[in-house]
Amino acid sequence: MPSILPDANRSPASVSAPALPRNRRARPAVSAGPRSKARKPLRDSPLLISLGILLLLGVLIGTLTLANRSATFFTPDFLSEFVLYALSMADLTMVVALFFVLARNLIKLLVERRRALPFAKFRSKLVAALLGMTLIPSVLVLLVGGEIIRTSVERWFNAPMDEILASANQLASDYYHERQQLAQDHARRIAGTLSALDLASVDLRRIQDLVDPEVKAQRVGLVEIYRVVPTANGRAEVVSLLEVAASTLPRDASDRASADRLAAHAVQGPADPILEPIGRGGELIRVASPIRGATGRITGVVVASDYLTGDVATRPRRMTDAYEAYMQLRVLKGPLTGVYLSFFLMLTLMILVGATWMGLYIAKRITKPIQTLAAAAREIGAGHLDHRVERETTDEFGGLVDAFNTMAGELSVSRRRLERSAIDVQRKHQEVETRRRYIETILQRIATGVISIDAHDRVGTVNGAAGRLLGLDESAVGKPATEVFGRADLEPLQKLLNGDGHLKGEPLAEEIALTQDGRELHLAAMVTTLHGEDGRPEGRVLVFDDITPLIRSQKVAAWREVARRLAHEIKNPLTPIQLSAERLKRHFGGAPDATRALVDECTSTIVGEVESLKGLVDEFSQFARMPAPRRAAVDVRELLRESLALYNGLFQQITLVSTFDPELPPVRIDPEQIRRVLINLVDNAVEAMNRKGTIWIETAHDAAHGLARIIVADDGPGIPAADRDKLFMPYYSTKRRGSGLGLAIVRRIVSEHGGTIEVADNVPHGTRFTIELPL
Amino acid sequence: MTRAHLTWLVGLLSVTALTAAGDIRVTPLTREGRVLVSFEMPSGFNADMKAAVHSGLPTTFTYEVELRRGLSFWFDRTITSATVTAGVQYDNLTRQHKLSLLIDGRIEASNVTNDEGVVAKSLTSFERLPLFNTTQLEPNGEYYIRVRLQTRPRVGWLFFWPWDRSSASGYAKFTFIP
Repeated sequence: MPSILPDANRSPASVSAPALPRNRRARPAVSAGPRSKARKPLRDSPLLISLGILLLLGVLIGTLTLANRSATFFTPDFLSEFVLYALSMADLTMVVALFFVLARNLIKLLVERRRALPFAKFRSKLVAALLGMTLIPSVLVLLVGGEIIRTSVERWFNAPMDEILASANQLASDYYHERQQLAQDHARRIAGTLSALDLASVDLRRIQDLVDPEVKAQRVGLVEIYRVVPTANGRAEVVSLLEVAASTLPRDASDRASADRLAAHAVQGPADPILEPIGRGGELIRVASPIRGATGRITGVVVASDYLTGDVATRPRRMTDAYEAYMQLRVLKGPLTGVYLSFFLMLTLMILVGATWMGLYIAKRITKPIQTLAAAAREIGAGHLDHRVERETTDEFGGLVDAFNTMAGELSVSRRRLERSAIDVQRKHQEVETRRRYIETILQRIATGVISIDAHDRVGTVNGAAGRLLGLDESAVGKPATEVFGRADLEPLQKLLNGDGHLKGEPLAEEIALTQDGRELHLAAMVTTLHGEDGRPEGRVLVFDDITPLIRSQKVAAWREVARRLAHEIKNPLTPIQLSAERLKRHFGGAPDATRALVDECTSTIVGEVESLKGLVDEFSQFARMPAPRRAAVDVRELLRESLALYNGLFQQITLVSTFDPELPPVRIDPEQIRRVLINLVDNAVEAMNRKGTIWIETAHDAAHGLARIIVADDGPGIPAADRDKLFMPYYSTKRRGSGLGLAIVRRIVSEHGGTIEVADNVPHGTRFTIELPL
Repeated sequence: MTRAHLTWLVGLLSVTALTAAGDIRVTPLTREGRVLVSFEMPSGFNADMKAAVHSGLPTTFTYEVELRRGLSFWFDRTITSATVTAGVQYDNLTRQHKLSLLIDGRIEASNVTNDEGVVAKSLTSFERLPLFNTTQLEPNGEYYIRVRLQTRPRVGWLFFWPWDRSSASGYAKFTFIP
């Protein structure tokens, strides 16, 4: 029978035991406490960040300075050829850097959002806000600034400035050409004067006399006369003959070499004038004119140099330089605009890169402590109470981290205390559980029935014996006692429970007879009221023992005593009676016939009845003095076959059907007594069926309970339920003849073997005797 | 982008396009073991370059002349190359142009002139320059001469992109018959 005690899980101890985190011991606590200080990444180093900011500021200032002084330090073509390329490269690099920084961080944010990492959304919003605050103004400033630069460059070049500078240049150039033309005219006139002379043989003083008036009149500053000398290879060389300088011409002003080259060019063809700067300031405009002889052949060259003093030479040059500078700016307007736009773009990009990086860094700095705290809270929640957060700052976040670490420490201490308490509770719970199981086992095993009823009059416990005796199953637990004991056969128990004994707090004991399946069950029952510590009743306990076997034994013992006394008291006078009757018969052997016949009849009746009484007394004697069984391991199946063989052919209308369990092991029994049991039962069945019907003899092996079962069933009229309890009592018989001791002897034999015999209805009709013998 | 920006950008692109307009006419000729290369670019001395010259900026036309051979399944191979640089600097005071011609860095000629036509011709037209030897050529081989021009100063500027690989180019094929 299954246990119908309350489930162990209902134990309050087991419910109240604190549940520990499952993975608390599986995972070692990850400690990031202050002692195990993790090394910071370089990018988080304040020194490095400060250096980076300083470097950026330095580059910004340098770029601004360079842009400011670019017009002074660099020529336009240098700006357009080198600076523009350098700036473009720098701009491209920074654009790539900006895109890299943006793309990297945006991808990271996207991935974080996709993976639903903590604070990913918050960080995305923060980054978007910071980028928006940086990018939008920067782009606007770039567009507006670019437009301003472009407009400013356009305004450099306007019509009045063009005209002024072009006119100035024209003036300077015209002045130069006029002086050049004058010098050319002098040179040509002197050449004409000298053309009549034979330069190869003429006296140089004569030449000087011809030239001196030109020089002294300061029409020219310097006149140099060359003679053309033919060479062997057919070419011509120029040889300097004379040099006449004005008094105003600074000494060592003339570079002879340039005059020689100019003279040589003039021999070969028209020679372009030369503008030759003088070291001390001023310039020489040198022109050459060939001296042609009478035949038209060039015999010499006149190089006339017009001396321009410092200011006179410098001012036209300055005007031309200013014009050229202006024109160069105009020509390089596009690249120069590009230079300034590139400067501006570079500054914007530097600000953008710096601001973007700073924005991302700040977003990270803001969210990182929160993320760290959230991660630490998850670790704490997962049971890793040794987890600590490293304090990185001294601001409010640092205070928050300290508070968190303090909380974690206190939690850890509380946890340890709780663990110790839990271990104690668990140990006590185990002890209680062991005790409970022990008591439960006892309750289950004992033959005494125990039923507990709680304060609410509901059945709390039904042990095995109680269930078996009263026919209750586990569904009775939890039901009201009035419902459970309201069954008709349990009414005596209901009366006992309703008795007023429990109100007085005293146990109420009573012997109760119940009828279970037609069997009379005698119980010695006692109801005890349970009281709590406050004295209030908390329920009742019904304890009862099955005293049916005891009463039965008492009855059997009484009958045995009766039988013994009957045998003793009746058997002793029977022999003298029989002897006296036989003596009377012999004495009246010679009497008249009528007397003798009477005497014979009377004495025969006396002797017959005495014999009958002797037989009856013998049976009673036998019942009273049943010998102890002589046990031996016997194959019950074989024993039954042998016994049933006695009936072969004995009853024509009786069918014996035997079904034996092949698994039944040998049983330690007295074969003669068990054979007698079987024969008795079969004889009873034959008599009950009026020698017509079927008798089933079966054996079974109940390995679970260690029993051998012998069943004898018939399809006779059966036995009324009311008679079943008396069936095994001595001197009870439904037959017209017999002593009524057969089934009493059967029960006694079975009892002597430690077994039981039960009678029940056979289905669909008849009687079924079941004998259970221990193996 | 505003209309002013758009106009500005289109203007810049037009300047760059004008600078790059026109192809170089190339005429190769093999004589006496030399490859004589003639090339000219009549439109090279355009208004922009004239303005650059008149501004007094040193102006150079650098021609990269390459002797190449075409390959069927790979990039064409450059057998040899030469750099011809024609330079001019104008003095607004004297109204003189100082001309120079350098081949592979060597000064080949220098001149001073007042004639702008001479300047234009000396910058854009070259006759039978003996740039390469025929010893490097295979008989009956198909070759071509590619000439690419780069001018200085760069007067064009594309929006934040100053790099222009070549202002103009031209090529002419020839078969080397010894």
